[in-house]
Amino acid sequence: MSEQETTTQGAVQDSGITVRVESFVGPLDLLLHLCRTNEMDLSRLSLRAITDQYLAHLEAVRFQDLETAGSFMVMAATLIYLKSKLLLPANPDDPDELLDDEGELLKRELEERLREYARVKAFGTWLAEREAEQALIYGRTTAELPPPEDIPLEDLSVHLLQRAMQRLIEDQKRRVPRQVEPNPLSVLERMSEMVELLRSTWSLLFSSVAGPERIRAEWVVTLLALLELVRLGEARARQAELFGEIVIERNAVSVREPARVIEDTFEEAPPQSDPLPRGERDAEDLNA
Amino acid sequence: MPEIIDVVEALLFASDTPVEASRIQEVLDLESPAVARELVETLRRRLDAEGRALQVMEVGGGFRLVTRPEIAPWLVKLARSRTRSRLSRPSLETLAIIGYRQPVSRPEVDAIRGVNSDAVLENLLERRMIRIAGRKESPGRPFLYETTREFLVAFGLRDLADLPKVEGELIVPELAETAAAQLTEPGPEHEETTAADDPAEQDPGSGGDRVTASS
Repeated sequence: MSEQETTTQGAVQDSGITVRVESFVGPLDLLLHLCRTNEMDLSRLSLRAITDQYLAHLEAVRFQDLETAGSFMVMAATLIYLKSKLLLPANPDDPDELLDDEGELLKRELEERLREYARVKAFGTWLAEREAEQALIYGRTTAELPPPEDIPLEDLSVHLLQRAMQRLIEDQKRRVPRQVEPNPLSVLERMSEMVELLRSTWSLLFSSVAGPERIRAEWVVTLLALLELVRLGEARARQAELFGEIVIERNAVSVREPARVIEDTFEEAPPQSDPLPRGERDAEDLNA
Repeated sequence: MPEIIDVVEALLFASDTPVEASRIQEVLDLESPAVARELVETLRRRLDAEGRALQVMEVGGGFRLVTRPEIAPWLVKLARSRTRSRLSRPSLETLAIIGYRQPVSRPEVDAIRGVNSDAVLENLLERRMIRIAGRKESPGRPFLYETTREFLVAFGLRDLADLPKVEGELIVPELAETAAAQLTEPGPEHEETTAADDPAEQDPGSGGDRVTASS
């Protein structure tokens, strides 16, 4: 089971000092680290300094999954929002960090969360020390399975069972060596697939076209194909929220034949020979 | 006929979970859990005085017979590959949150950590450090989690009251030290004072009479 640990290697250049980037468990962890290295009081955050440093670190952070990346970005957005408020002080006579009521509330909330996280972290460290001490002590190990009274049957739901089963299946899958197909993904192919799909339906989801496995090559090619279709006026794309699902719709105005679209593209831009390897799942289930 | 103290030793040796004072009372037909506790203390003093490899430890609301830390190097050699895998930092932090806020739901844990804790919680459930305590009557009726007895045993805690007080950003050292001292210097005198210092902590499982007497 992969913990949501975000590891980073490398260093960040910040105001002339090279800071080694540690591994950060989450945005609060990173923020706390910055406060500590700046010897900053957690109840008096200096937003200007912290925002710049946070953003500088962010570039060096390598994210494990989209969700973790998202949580780092939300924090970045909050900081930028607060900093932007500082640029337009509520009271122009006072150049000091002055926020309006909403900003002040947001800042205080952030500080409280940071303090709470600092406590949790301290306690986590304490637990780690205890664990290390206990590792030196041997006793009878408890039974492999918990006593029956510890298994609350009423809490076992179909949902949990399904999750366990799914995990088993995924574990099995992982053992199968990956098949690498020689065909490179092509933006043009993906475009015609999407046009084809849009012929029979009004709208489709980006993720359904790109495949659920989140293979980078698939996503990049699909995005390029989508942008190209939008440019040609064949489709429209909407994204309601940051990192949200992209809904692709047929452009009602377009009267051109799908086949023509592809030909046009051929003339306008020669097909890119895409060096990206073809992913596991391909268009066949989409065409089906 | 074996002495009663030998039987207590055997009980602690044979059980794979911590044995509560009330359970010893039951098995040996004693008047009260306090008497059982006395016997365990006698056993503890005896083991300490003889400088034996084993010691009595009070964890998870009961008593365990465990090896002394000094013996660890040989035991590691004996077990060869058997190294206990430590919990990761996210796991420990999640456990910290659950330790203090239990019963607590995943959205609450997520909010404090600032990241999704799904995988971490699943790992802790698998290792039986936490268990499902029910559901929260809020939108989505999320599961509520609480720590288990295995958690107390794994971290050498008698009960949840052994958790340190956290003030500001810091752990109040006093409490944390007491717990650590109990571990590293199991001197008989020290143990006695610890037990005498907090009579209210005796046998959280049952022994209601003692608890009410002290409060």
